Amino acid sequence: MSFWDKAQNVDRRVIYALMFAVIALVLIKPVGLAIEIKKETQMAYDALAKIPTGSVIWLSADYGASSIPELLPAQKSVMRHAFGKGLRIVAGAMWNEGGNMIDLAWQDIQKDFPNKKYGVDFVNVGYKPGGAVLLERIATDAHQALLGMDHYGKLFSELPLMQEFKSFKDAKFIFEFVTGTPGEKDYIKMVTDKLKIPFATSATSVSVPEQMPLLQSGQLCGLVMGMAGAAEYEMLVGKPGTATAGMDAQSFAHVLIIGFIILGNLGYLLSGKSKFRRKA
Amino acid sequence: MRREGPVLLGAITGIVVIISTYFTTQVLTTVKNEIDQWYLIAEAFVCLVGLINLSRIHFDRLSKKKPGAANSIALLVCMYGFVLFGLYRGSLGDKQYSWLYNTTVNPMSATVFSLLAFYIGSAAYRAFRVRTAEATVLLTAAVIMMLGRVPIGKMISPYIPQMAGWILDYPNTAGMRGITLGATLGGIATALRIMVGIERGHLGSD
Repeated sequence: MSFWDKAQNVDRRVIYALMFAVIALVLIKPVGLAIEIKKETQMAYDALAKIPTGSVIWLSADYGASSIPELLPAQKSVMRHAFGKGLRIVAGAMWNEGGNMIDLAWQDIQKDFPNKKYGVDFVNVGYKPGGAVLLERIATDAHQALLGMDHYGKLFSELPLMQEFKSFKDAKFIFEFVTGTPGEKDYIKMVTDKLKIPFATSATSVSVPEQMPLLQSGQLCGLVMGMAGAAEYEMLVGKPGTATAGMDAQSFAHVLIIGFIILGNLGYLLSGKSKFRRKA
Repeated sequence: MRREGPVLLGAITGIVVIISTYFTTQVLTTVKNEIDQWYLIAEAFVCLVGLINLSRIHFDRLSKKKPGAANSIALLVCMYGFVLFGLYRGSLGDKQYSWLYNTTVNPMSATVFSLLAFYIGSAAYRAFRVRTAEATVLLTAAVIMMLGRVPIGKMISPYIPQMAGWILDYPNTAGMRGITLGATLGGIATALRIMVGIERGHLGSD
């Protein structure tokens, strides 16, 4: 077997080992590559920045534990941005793990904003079943649709913020952290297009291509794209976190994969088996 | 009537929901709200159906001592453990329930998904070969996107992020629009077929 034949048949364990080594090394010794803010992330940031102080916004955590690396950093950054501007947040979820995701973010954010009180500045209504139907019901009567109880079992009557949030009409902005269905299309169908509420999303990288038409049509006012977008939002709020730390590792992992792709193609072209070589 | 009943019910509820989207009257709104409530109840019951089905499959596997029965024990213990513990603690936001979830489900889900990085690396190496013109275009677009979406792309050349942005803004958006329109038209056609009873797969076999 010639060298070029071997080049297009590298043992997958070699690829796994190199991938592990590259990611681990860069996570242990970060390089600090400069992160450029993309226009889509800037649009989301600017749209939220325009909301008047004291307004109530709705956050939707429609993702599970597997999407934490991409979406939780973005969620924390958006919550930091909102609290820094004096906004109040009501957070809910159409996915059954969403309530826990919101709780994870709140536990972390509280340390930076000790003056923000649960029930006054922030409420986690948690997961409620229903998807698009749930959204339609919240748009008319939130307390009935959300069963009058938050994620922790507290009644809405005990939470002052919920006395001001009776439906989506009381929210000045909606920000969704989404990885699939139910997701952004349900919000656009049932809520944001009808009530004309500004709507931005943070999506996993695989979901970004299908959301681009929504951004171009104006149905989304901003789009935070995957972990890269989360890192950009972290830079915008001035608090680098896990997404920023992960960008170095992601960069070098991509370079490694591209290196193997080039090696495989050189092996294919120079091994004598490709049609280009056979014609020559 | 056993087959016609569900079809008729589906047709009536479907028509009411569609009409109530375009016309608002007191009667229609009341009926629609009631249908929505029943939808929410049914959606919650779907989880129960899933629980019963999984239990049936895995208890059967255990009783017949099929290969992989040990995995069935793990699944049943975890599934019923979470359900019973959640019911005992009373809410998803309970501290102990959250601790159990954050220390087990979170890291395990992250672990399983992080394996994708290795599988995709290996798959990309084997799949992206310049065998045809189309494969070459795919390979080029993939390389540009992989580099353009991470900081190292701009270090290599400032044109790479611009090209990645162009691919997302133009070819991707055009293609996704077409796919979304086609899928939506197909969904409308399927929904109409279900409502008039032509499509009956959801009713099960006789």
